[in-house]
Amino acid sequence: MRKFPWKQKKMNLNKMQPATEPILGVNSLCKSFLGVKALNDIHFELNKGEVHALLGENGAGKSTFMKILIGLLKADSGSIYFKGEPIENLDVHAIIQKGISMIHQEILMIPELSVAQNIFLAKEVNRAFFIDEQVINQKTETLLRSMGIDIEVSEKAKNLSIAQLQLVEIAKAVSNEAKVIIMDEPSSALSELEVELLFKIIADLKSKGVSIIYISHKMDEIFQIADRITILRDGKYIATKNTKDLDKSGLISLMVGREIKELFTAKELPESEVILKVENLNKKGRFSNINFEVHSGEVLGIAGLMGAGRTEIARAIYGLDNFDSGEIRLKGKKISIKSPKDAIAEGIGYVSEDRKGLGFIPELSVKQNISLSSISAYSKAFLIDKKEEQKAVKQIAEELQIKASNLNKKVKYLSGGNQQKVVIARVLLAKPALVILDEPSRGIDIGAKHEIYKLIRQLTEKGLAVLLISSELPEILGMSDRIVVLSKGKQKITLTQKEASQEKIMHYALH
Amino acid sequence: MVMKNTFLNFLVGVLLLSACNPSANEKQKNPDRIRIGVSMLSMQNEFIVNISDEMQIKAEELGVELIMVDAERSPLKQIEQVESFIAQKVDAIILNPCEFEASSPAVTKALDANIPIVNVNSATKIQPVSFVGSDDVESGRIAMKYISEKLGGKGNIVMIQGLNGQAAQIQREQGAKEIMEQNPGLKMIAQQTAEWDRSKSMDLMQNWIQSYGTKINAVFAHNDEMGLGAVKALQDAGMKDRVIVVSIDAIADALVSVKKGELDATVFQDAKKQGAGAIDAAVKIAKGQKSEKEILIPFKLLTKVDVDAYLK
Amino acid sequence: MRYINKLRHYGIFIVFLAICINLSLISPQFLTISNWTIIITQVSINALLAFGVTFVIITGGIDLSLGSIVAVSGVTAAMLAHPNTYPLIVPILAALFAGLLIGAFNGFMITKSKIAPFIVTLGTMTIGRGLALILSDGRPVSNLSDSFVFIGSGKLLGLPILILILVIMFIICSVILNKTTLGRYIYALGGNEQAARASGIMVTRVKMMVYSISGVLAGLAGILLTSRITTGQPNAGAGFELDAIAAVVIGGTSTSGGKGSIGGTMIGVLLIGVINNSLDLLNVSSYYQQVVMGLIIIGAVVLDSLNQKSNY
Repeated sequence: MRKFPWKQKKMNLNKMQPATEPILGVNSLCKSFLGVKALNDIHFELNKGEVHALLGENGAGKSTFMKILIGLLKADSGSIYFKGEPIENLDVHAIIQKGISMIHQEILMIPELSVAQNIFLAKEVNRAFFIDEQVINQKTETLLRSMGIDIEVSEKAKNLSIAQLQLVEIAKAVSNEAKVIIMDEPSSALSELEVELLFKIIADLKSKGVSIIYISHKMDEIFQIADRITILRDGKYIATKNTKDLDKSGLISLMVGREIKELFTAKELPESEVILKVENLNKKGRFSNINFEVHSGEVLGIAGLMGAGRTEIARAIYGLDNFDSGEIRLKGKKISIKSPKDAIAEGIGYVSEDRKGLGFIPELSVKQNISLSSISAYSKAFLIDKKEEQKAVKQIAEELQIKASNLNKKVKYLSGGNQQKVVIARVLLAKPALVILDEPSRGIDIGAKHEIYKLIRQLTEKGLAVLLISSELPEILGMSDRIVVLSKGKQKITLTQKEASQEKIMHYALH
Repeated sequence: MVMKNTFLNFLVGVLLLSACNPSANEKQKNPDRIRIGVSMLSMQNEFIVNISDEMQIKAEELGVELIMVDAERSPLKQIEQVESFIAQKVDAIILNPCEFEASSPAVTKALDANIPIVNVNSATKIQPVSFVGSDDVESGRIAMKYISEKLGGKGNIVMIQGLNGQAAQIQREQGAKEIMEQNPGLKMIAQQTAEWDRSKSMDLMQNWIQSYGTKINAVFAHNDEMGLGAVKALQDAGMKDRVIVVSIDAIADALVSVKKGELDATVFQDAKKQGAGAIDAAVKIAKGQKSEKEILIPFKLLTKVDVDAYLK
Repeated sequence: MRYINKLRHYGIFIVFLAICINLSLISPQFLTISNWTIIITQVSINALLAFGVTFVIITGGIDLSLGSIVAVSGVTAAMLAHPNTYPLIVPILAALFAGLLIGAFNGFMITKSKIAPFIVTLGTMTIGRGLALILSDGRPVSNLSDSFVFIGSGKLLGLPILILILVIMFIICSVILNKTTLGRYIYALGGNEQAARASGIMVTRVKMMVYSISGVLAGLAGILLTSRITTGQPNAGAGFELDAIAAVVIGGTSTSGGKGSIGGTMIGVLLIGVINNSLDLLNVSSYYQQVVMGLIIIGAVVLDSLNQKSNY
């Protein structure tokens, strides 16, 4: 974990006075896909130097709206004004030149190029016909320092963490002299410290008159940094409010159209059968001496900062990576897992933090994705019994509230939350005894989050053991019966739910 | 396909290296033995393989050493091969040119290095010391003359061409067209390439049968492979009895087919005389004797009557 | 979304129908049963290769060794198919086995060495061609038994055997891809290899299977080709892989993997066959045929990417 010298300065950005001059205006924007209205009469206004949060459940139309704003999609009707000029017919390139940049959720960097080369991509500084690497490096260095980002400019993008990549993306937008920066879930892959840095950068940008559209599911963040909040629901414009006029439950009810009283429903459990026992697990440079047990019906949380080795341990247990030494026992039996196939056969399921990379097959349908891990159970002599498959998938889909009419849709057309449900459904259909959930609520909206928490509870009531990895402390605290805290690959302490608190966890995670 | 060639080049390079070394050793053992470098057009072509076999036999007989390499239809590679022969200081070079123009630099280089060079089977623009081969235009004339006689100077002909742009295709077509001009009753109703290939020729003939049907009286194919493909297509359509098929080269399959009375005639190109003749000429010149500038091996038309002598 | 996907296949199908209707207006022979029998017979070999490479391309791979496998299996079959030697089943099994062997070797190298499929199969393409030349000594292998030749030109139940084999393989391949676990795994693997592995799919095993299937189908194609032209030729099949890949691409299979169908490939194969056939019927020069074919390949991909966009 990298240390940031400016850390721990509490900021309250919404006390700053928003400037009143609107830089971006959107009127009556509509967009349909195949007759389905994705956006219906959207209004939006962004002032100079304002942080404006855009909120809505999955499928509310945020992504479509942003894609139209930056020219990736064309609206069916409506207008967009930037500094008084209509821009709804411009393409991506022209819009970037106007000064609107977007930090995408999926980082779009060229792995083999350096930080500096990525930032200056397509606007290289040339001397004669050759790129002047030195000038680029210097300029990048100055830029990064001025933003307080501590990353080596000659480092290749492939060697950076997701958090670092995100910071570089923001630097790139700044170098484009963006007047409006759209940030799509910028904090979803960041640790708490890195989020602090992000907020400091946002404050800097703001003071320089840059406007920010901030898309996030994290309430706390939004209340911390947003001046105003615009809420979308089901493709419709719901409201724009000053942050100071809203509280959490008021905001949530605007988003989902109903009140959510309690997000977390953790409860204590009696001792029960040990499902998973990990003994002295070691992998050089990743983690060492890891020991824990997960009981039937228990949620064991694993907390720690980015790079503490949480995901690495999960991948080792699931057979995605090998490990150097140690034992894994399932229901008392020592098991040897060489591939995910073995893990699934033994009764271990894994919902990855990297949903796009490891979770689903975008070109396959919802049904085909859900049945993928257990398809041989619905086959006779290599032939898939499609009726059996349909029946099994339909049942689990109903349990997880995935709409049956969507079963034949390709997963790539679903929203993040529904994609996550598909992945969970696939894992559950293989009838695991233990499920590893790695950042299960990353990048999904509060409604879907709530459903997933409820689901975890239902599953544990049926005796399933759950290993929960999360960067969100409230989530870990609220869901886990016990919590293992990791730091730099080492197991620091195991806390019971009663002992645990945010401060305690952070204390151990930082040491 | 560029990739394929690069890869092949690499392999051939490795093979060449390993092939060159032992011959260098042998030279030390037999300093007086005559060594001849041979670059062949393509060892994937049956007729060329036949010529090279005949060369080997003749060389054995005369006690000369052959360094034989395959240019794989690449003139560039052929030039490189000749350069390496020059570097090895062979006593003579036999070239089976890939192309009329593009292989000419190989001849120039040998002549400049004062190493006698003999062309076999086909010509280059630059004259070598000696040429041993047959005139492809003549083979076209012979084939078409036979068709003309059989049809009584009147009828519809389709022509299956070799790979467009190659010397053999151009000259065989030229010879055939000369005869057709002399016999205005002959009409070329279609012509198309089947790239020397039997299955492509079969497909082409099937398609022509669909469009021209019984209008076709005779087929002239630029080589036997394609002639045999046409025969197969005509047989399948039950039309072989009504259509004359003639092709060139007299490969083994064609001789068998002529014997069976399926292929009407093939034009015999004498691999033996070409191969042996080339070695003879090269050895003579290497020994400082005179050889003729051009040794033309005549073609012979083979029909059912006289095919027996050529069947092995 | 489902409708659009269906339409996508209809898209190329509509293009195909439009071309057919046009051709039947221009050329009266085009829409006859005998002409279509010929078209389907002619495309059968390319179809088998294209089916095999469809599997490979859906996994995101490529197989350039198909043409060489055709040559190896063809020569192998021919060498064992001389009259009065072995029963018919021997050359057939041997040739299929030869195809399987090369295919499995491809799969093994790709999964174990992590070398890109393009490079591995480029290597086996050259190796295979060399093996075919070694086995046959550079010469076509002829004199095949009647029973072996019957496969390529005979009829069963009034239908050419080639067409029967094509139909059977079409059904088998469609079933594998649509109805079996292997088929599901193939799509999953091509769509997202890492996620497929994390879902418990044995990625190595699936890849081995895919290249082996491709090899066996190429082996079968070699048998059919040899039987059809009644000779096993070491230089047969050169460039066949490109025709096969073209058909697959025209049929809407994405070269980046995860998408495609045997039905689409079949339409691609037929489209190529129909164009070749009709241009022959109309006696259009083969120069133009090549240009037309290139335009169709690019057009198909453009159509595909337009559909992608409208899907978004």
